[in-house]
Amino acid sequence: MTYKQRRALTAYAFLLPAILYFLVFFFWPIAIEFWASLRSGQPLIGESEFAGLKNYIYIFKDRLAIKAMGATLIYAVGSTVFTLLIALVLASILAGPLKARNTIRAILFFPYIVSFVISALMWKSILDPYTGLLNAALLKLGLPQQYWLTDPDAAIWVLVAVSVWKDIGYAVLIYIAAIQGIPNHLYQAAELDGAKRRHLFRDITLPLLMPTTLFLAVIVMIASMQEMALPYLMTGGGPANATRLYSLHVFDTAFQGLNIGYASALSFVMFLVILFITWAQFKLLNRDIRHT
Amino acid sequence: MLKSLKTTGAILALAAGLGAGMAGAETLRVYFNAGHGYDTYMDAIAQFEADNPGWTVQFEKYQWPDLRTKIVADFAANNPPDLLATPGGWIPEFAHQDLLLSIDDYAARDTDTFDYPGDWFDNAVAKNTIDGKNYGVQIHHTCATLVYNKDMLAEAGYDAPPATWEEFREVAAATTKPGVFGFAPNSAFIYYWPWVFQAGGDYFNTETGKVGLDSEATISALEFLSGLIHEDRSAPVPVAGADYEGPQRLFTSGRAAMIITGPWDINPIRTGNPDLNWAVAPSLTGEVQSTVQGGVGLAIPKDAKHPEMAWELIKALTDVEVEVETSLRYSMTMPRKSWLADQRVQDDALLGQFGTCLPYSQDVQLPLTLTGKFDPAVDTIIQTAFEEVLYGRADAAETLKAAADEANAIIDAK
Repeated sequence: MTYKQRRALTAYAFLLPAILYFLVFFFWPIAIEFWASLRSGQPLIGESEFAGLKNYIYIFKDRLAIKAMGATLIYAVGSTVFTLLIALVLASILAGPLKARNTIRAILFFPYIVSFVISALMWKSILDPYTGLLNAALLKLGLPQQYWLTDPDAAIWVLVAVSVWKDIGYAVLIYIAAIQGIPNHLYQAAELDGAKRRHLFRDITLPLLMPTTLFLAVIVMIASMQEMALPYLMTGGGPANATRLYSLHVFDTAFQGLNIGYASALSFVMFLVILFITWAQFKLLNRDIRHT
Repeated sequence: MLKSLKTTGAILALAAGLGAGMAGAETLRVYFNAGHGYDTYMDAIAQFEADNPGWTVQFEKYQWPDLRTKIVADFAANNPPDLLATPGGWIPEFAHQDLLLSIDDYAARDTDTFDYPGDWFDNAVAKNTIDGKNYGVQIHHTCATLVYNKDMLAEAGYDAPPATWEEFREVAAATTKPGVFGFAPNSAFIYYWPWVFQAGGDYFNTETGKVGLDSEATISALEFLSGLIHEDRSAPVPVAGADYEGPQRLFTSGRAAMIITGPWDINPIRTGNPDLNWAVAPSLTGEVQSTVQGGVGLAIPKDAKHPEMAWELIKALTDVEVEVETSLRYSMTMPRKSWLADQRVQDDALLGQFGTCLPYSQDVQLPLTLTGKFDPAVDTIIQTAFEEVLYGRADAAETLKAAADEANAIIDAK
């Protein structure tokens, strides 16, 4: 065995645990799920039979699944866009010389470390139209009562807002680290050339933050597409299924309806959708990085 | 040296004794609802363990949705518990899948000491009877009925609770004032059905084999509720969510004059506002007097390791003394006729009033679950339709017809 082969073998030996981990806990479940998605009845837990693509075709007839996918896209895009935009603005401010910036960072980061269950129940209590603190405050100020959680058009945006509140601290910290990593001489050179603050931000900060933006966009988007706890705890998917996100629909289909084959097909479609969105994000945002 | 040897010998003997004890030890696994781990049941279990040396009850508590996930996974892994608590509908569903054990042989054997089904309300037995066989024993038997604030009604000029829909609408309007609603409806699925049943409607018509969603009765029930919310403004739009405590909180804080609820809210109201002057009324009469029925059943999985002991524990937990004590301490209504006849229960005005609703109460999904064609997706479709009418103000007849077609397609495909 040559030295090169020995080195390769050693490398693979070190990689083996990780490869096994991914095979057992990621690729094998995906394969099993795909197998289950081609069967009707209760594959994995009971009797089932081969159904071909029947489960996949039924998704297009499932009014609730289509509505859930729509709500999930609104939620995911809304959460991602608002989280990144607000985080970028806050990070730009907090990366500079600002008094009490550490305290502000800690306050912003705090929601991220609070349990999702506690956050959801807290916001549900605050936003309750009849007993909530927010409406009580509005009424005290002489403003009209708001029906955030009972209005089907408003409820999904309430979830987006809570999601942004929860994730913003993490995104701000990542952005601050990225901003502080940008070499100072780039700004100094640009200033010598007469660049103004807005030019510095647009032509240096933003492009150099593109890898960070890509990372955050992918992370937040994937997490949002998979979200289940928030609607489950805050709205139960209502009112009128306005906040029935896709994962909640899959959960109900699998564990309430015991329709495991169809739930597997729903899950596999979500897997493909997330894969496509992530690929699209890489295509769109990576292109900008190369321009820099 | 001798002392050391003696000590070592003693330790070894103790270890051997413990080992022997461990070898003879048996564990009875029980899955129960998280909210029902009452001290009275813990006492009954302690007594059961004392009466059966060597047996330990592993009492695991879960919220219903988690319990369902858990039991589904356990059935798949062929590792179910010995005893399973279930809300409405699970026993027929699992029995149709051949996952539960019929308790008939045990009941017939013990009929001298344990009068099942003779001492149980007929509708509590019917919930767990599939093709003439019993697959479970009810431990709780509940119904939801009208609960009202006596002072608020008196202030509006009413010295008795409403008995009909017309009276109810009038009282709700009269007791509504800024910040206070005459009636606080609940968004949870089951709370829509008292209205449908009182209008003469049903969840599933066993004669036609179709859901009763698009019947005149269901449409009129939804229109009545919508009228209270959007026309009279005597009721708020119910808040959707995973819990069903919103109306109770409004009632307890004096911001709602009437709610529809079950005995599970007696303690929260009592402890939340001890000064509240409130009472329980018979269910309203529309076309008929009716309301919804709830409860918890105990079932033994077919693959349970210790079905015999599980049956013994069922007997211990549903003993009438345990039932009476539990109902008095935790305000839960029970399925045994001798429980309702007990003077201590009769003397408790609130419990007794809830008890009188049990005979005319109906289990919502039972007619469909007994056919083995129940699918929770049907509930989701119905709930969506109801909410589209109440929240989105969609046309009731049109919305319910479309939903009925969708629900019937699911049932027909089963």
